[in-house]
Amino acid sequence: MKLFKISFITVFILFITAGLMNLQAQSQEYTIDGLTFGMPEAEVYTEDYDGPPVVGEYVTMLPHLKPLDYEGNKHHEIRLDTFTQEIEVADGVRFRAWTFGGMVPGPVIHVKEGDKITFTMKNRSDEMVTITKPGLEGSDYLKQISENDYMGAEPSIMPMPHSMDFHSGTVAKDDKWRTIAPGETISFDWYANYAGTYIYHCGTPSVLMHTAMGQHGVVVVSPKDGYETDDRVDEEYVVVQSEYYLKKGAGDLYQYDFEGAQTKQPSHVVFNGHQTILHDQPLTANEGERVRIHFSNNGPSLTSSFHVIGAIFDRVWLEGHPYNEMRGMQTVLLGASGSATVEFIVPEEGKYTLIDHEFADAEKGATGTLKAGPRQ
Amino acid sequence: MKLPFNTYHKVAAVLGFLLAIQLPVVQAQNQAIAIPEGSFHSVLPEVVGEPHQVEPFKIDETAVTNEDYLEFLKENPEWQRSSISPLFAGSDYLRHWEYDLNPGSDEIMDRPVTRVSWYAANSYCEWNGGRLPTLNEWEYAAQAMDFDSNLEANRFSSELIGWYSAVDTKIKSDVGSTGIENRYGVKDLFGLIMEWVEDFNPPIADDISLDCGTVGRMQGDASVYSYAMSIRYITRMSFKPTSSTGMLGFRCAYDMNSNKMEI
Ligand SMILES: [Cu+2]
Repeated sequence: MKLFKISFITVFILFITAGLMNLQAQSQEYTIDGLTFGMPEAEVYTEDYDGPPVVGEYVTMLPHLKPLDYEGNKHHEIRLDTFTQEIEVADGVRFRAWTFGGMVPGPVIHVKEGDKITFTMKNRSDEMVTITKPGLEGSDYLKQISENDYMGAEPSIMPMPHSMDFHSGTVAKDDKWRTIAPGETISFDWYANYAGTYIYHCGTPSVLMHTAMGQHGVVVVSPKDGYETDDRVDEEYVVVQSEYYLKKGAGDLYQYDFEGAQTKQPSHVVFNGHQTILHDQPLTANEGERVRIHFSNNGPSLTSSFHVIGAIFDRVWLEGHPYNEMRGMQTVLLGASGSATVEFIVPEEGKYTLIDHEFADAEKGATGTLKAGPRQ
Repeated sequence: MKLPFNTYHKVAAVLGFLLAIQLPVVQAQNQAIAIPEGSFHSVLPEVVGEPHQVEPFKIDETAVTNEDYLEFLKENPEWQRSSISPLFAGSDYLRHWEYDLNPGSDEIMDRPVTRVSWYAANSYCEWNGGRLPTLNEWEYAAQAMDFDSNLEANRFSSELIGWYSAVDTKIKSDVGSTGIENRYGVKDLFGLIMEWVEDFNPPIADDISLDCGTVGRMQGDASVYSYAMSIRYITRMSFKPTSSTGMLGFRCAYDMNSNKMEI
């Protein structure tokens, strides 16, 4: 009995101490140079949610970016659940991807510099989640997938712990980016303090495996005052490069290739998650038009030398920040998790190949097409 | 929200990993197997030259099946799905069962029970005259594999990591069917499910934390074997004692002087 009392008191003291430590972790919003920091602590809880796994007004499927149609800043409520989905990533190559929102890469999130985001994610890796039926609430993203399910997504179960790491957020990662178990939900706030194109990915160890299994995407943060060419841009796209490390498993499915990932020998290097999607469904424009591409190299491990055959980049903003402007570039070198917003003028009607000029990677799939029509 | 969980973490524990290779089914009588004392290296920090010591213990030959668990529920109605307190299990507890005392079909009777919380697993083992294995006992038993060479061990571990990416919990095999067993005859420590252990979130967990780069730090000897082990530790560490997933089951352990029948 005495022992029981002692352990009860010990547990009680532990609770109080943990409580105080949590209080210390709390912060108050504050600003430096117009940037906002000091977000409240993330909440982790369980909820009986089985609604649309992706919710958000400016959340779209690659290569599209939903234009921002509001003045000033906005508070976004975004849900991006994580769950398993069997998908095709090259002809005849299917595997059980760990995903944000059911596709690889996950959805494009578009916000404006200075916007506040309240983000919610449920770890639904132990649930069958169907993404090819648009949700009742009319998630734009789910509607786009149901109209163009090029990965042939099928629900699957693979319970794993996961987390979310937005490079576009400036917060304490041991709080906001923390790992949650299957069945749990995390919710936290962040501000888009910096303009640019930023990757997001799962940060749960092994990060290499979680990212290679498909848990990555991008947030495009448009500059508050825009880019100087904004009113001259005719087409705006998002292209994401990434690698898969896959080998044939039992049956028809592919599985993670540990050796390949460790030694940076990908089986596939792809644009927008699929080896041929940007040829099967080329980007389009017309002769004489100005095309803007937000290009992100999501890795997990390789560099990219992005080039468009037949064009020269008229403008390049490294990381997408309007101050990082360069002109007249033939190739943009991007390390893993680097990005650039590039613009070029389409010289004439015809086909232009988007390519990683590291040809070994191009031959593993890192290519795409821009198809240009006649001058309008 | 975070506060009580943190505290439970210190006390509690879980799991090995996963998937089924389809091999001829062996009917498993759930009997205990004696594991002699010894020591092993884990991926947790340890004093140089002093691996983790493990006292002799007994452990179930196979994971607890749906049939075994049904018996437990008949005698302990408070652990049935409709009666269990939310303090002891989340809403996913036994979600795949038809109802309280019906796992669905006869077919799944010999498959490992999953979607059980750590509390429920504890209670089952206690009812069965045992307890959950400690994390060290479980890992020690799992390490007692006879590989012909390092090459073979690495190949096995590499496959194990690949399995994590290919599991489909809709299709689960019977216990004893993976063909994987340790040198004492303990079956399916790998390749079928993950398993609860007593102290699934070791006190050291906060120092290791669940963040980028942890795997590298946990790889004591930089082998693929310890990489696979570190993924197990990290996965365990994310669970709560009320967690339950379609891949998470358990088996029981017993002290040497317990009268659990040995084989
Ligand atoms: Cu993950």
